[in-house]
Amino acid sequence: MRWLTDPLAIPFMQRAVLATLLLAVAGGLLGTWIVLRRLAFFAHAAGSATFPGLVVAGPWGIAAPLAALGAGLGFAGLLSRITRRGPTSADAATGLLLTAALALGVILASDVYESGTGVDRLLFGTLLGLGDGDIALAAAAAVAALLATAALGRTWLATGFDPAGAPALGVRAAHGDRLLLVLLALTVVAVLPAVGALLVSTLLVLPAATARLLTGSLRGLLGTAVALAAAEGVGGLLLAYHLDLPPGPAIAVLGGGLFALVALADAVRVRAVAR
Amino acid sequence: MSATAAIDVRDLSAAYRAGAVALRDVTFTATAGQAVAVLGPNGGGKTTLFRALLGELPAATGSAAVQGAIAYVPQTERSRLDFPVSALDVALMGAYARTPWFRRVATRDRAIARAALARVGLAERANARFGALSGGQRQRVLIARALVQDAAVLLLDEPFAGVDRTSEEAIVAILDELRAEGRVLLIATHDVEQARHWDRVLCLAGAQIAYGPPAETLTNAVLEGTYGEEIVMLDCGHRAVAIQHHSHSHAH
Repeated sequence: MRWLTDPLAIPFMQRAVLATLLLAVAGGLLGTWIVLRRLAFFAHAAGSATFPGLVVAGPWGIAAPLAALGAGLGFAGLLSRITRRGPTSADAATGLLLTAALALGVILASDVYESGTGVDRLLFGTLLGLGDGDIALAAAAAVAALLATAALGRTWLATGFDPAGAPALGVRAAHGDRLLLVLLALTVVAVLPAVGALLVSTLLVLPAATARLLTGSLRGLLGTAVALAAAEGVGGLLLAYHLDLPPGPAIAVLGGGLFALVALADAVRVRAVAR
Repeated sequence: MSATAAIDVRDLSAAYRAGAVALRDVTFTATAGQAVAVLGPNGGGKTTLFRALLGELPAATGSAAVQGAIAYVPQTERSRLDFPVSALDVALMGAYARTPWFRRVATRDRAIARAALARVGLAERANARFGALSGGQRQRVLIARALVQDAAVLLLDEPFAGVDRTSEEAIVAILDELRAEGRVLLIATHDVEQARHWDRVLCLAGAQIAYGPPAETLTNAVLEGTYGEEIVMLDCGHRAVAIQHHSHSHAH
């Protein structure tokens, strides 16, 4: 029991747990829509694309969330331009831009601004060193995800289920899609300080993808994704504390491991039913 | 269902982009209680006509007037079968337009949705996952959704595609009932035999080829005009039968 209570008595761990729980709400709820709408690769790439923005934020004197948002919007703009103009498919263009952004970030960090050890923090986050601004951003993302799910959930469900038929249902499909992307950008920026540019999927995709294997209803999916994100987040923090690991990667490994276990159990169950 | 249902289309042309006309010269009227088969090859303009009637695609020239609430019944093959929705959830989507964003779907609308599912013979399957239903059952759920919308005019996009014979008969029986209630049905199909069952047939191949009662309208000349060289004509008694090569290109 002290394995659990000792770390949680320390103020910086309490802050980290608070941030994790707020991000679990934002990531779990929005992640459900991201996974249902097949935007997981886009979300991962949008996170990685913020890296060059984060690298230049310090030297240029821009607030990190703004620099990240700028880089993310640049990524989204280029992506829509490439896919609209030519024969390049959206996933190929996403992969291309993701690689380009990471490479640009590495060059800026190593040869232009000589960011040194700070690069690790930008790529993998620093859940144990979050500021008040980071916590406020996480809280804002959590509230936005809750409100949006309540207000736009039906629109997102109808549009994702049947894009061609949704407008005729009186659902404002295009409006809903735009707001989903805005919210995705906000959530990516909010999870960056905690898990870094490379690991945004840890909170945005993994819990929701695991939840899909566990439940078949939308309510169940939203609830399970939030619960899993919270459990994986806090569990990863405790693992990191006791085993002296970086917290972002610890949460990612825990989330990935849990997905693998659930997927395996599901496969065994399906095989048993088939017999 | 309020207001007398009717469709009045005059000299309609519609384009997805300026200059790229997908459908032209369409003129027809359908009145309450009429079911119209919209016959034509893929890319012939059936979906374009529907989108123009729904107001999603502005008329380049002419007009498309619809009287009464309108609903679109999509092809079930286009919907996502892995979505976490039950048959009842899908039927309830028909009530979304009248549900304020800050409210849950009203209890009354839940009762309406259950009644609509019962009407299409799926009361027992209300809680089944949509993706686990057969093609014909899914099509009936989508018709129930249009009933929840209280639609007087139903646009059905290939309702018999990917549906077995028994389900096809069940769907035809439901559609017969709906037209008997005074609704207007537009039924997109590429099946000439299916088209013969309905009150009118509208033949489209980028432009209107013909419109009228099937017995008079579906002549060899009209079928050739509709399907062009894609057709093989067989003379079965006095009726022409079209056998269309299947192509799934969508020339938008």
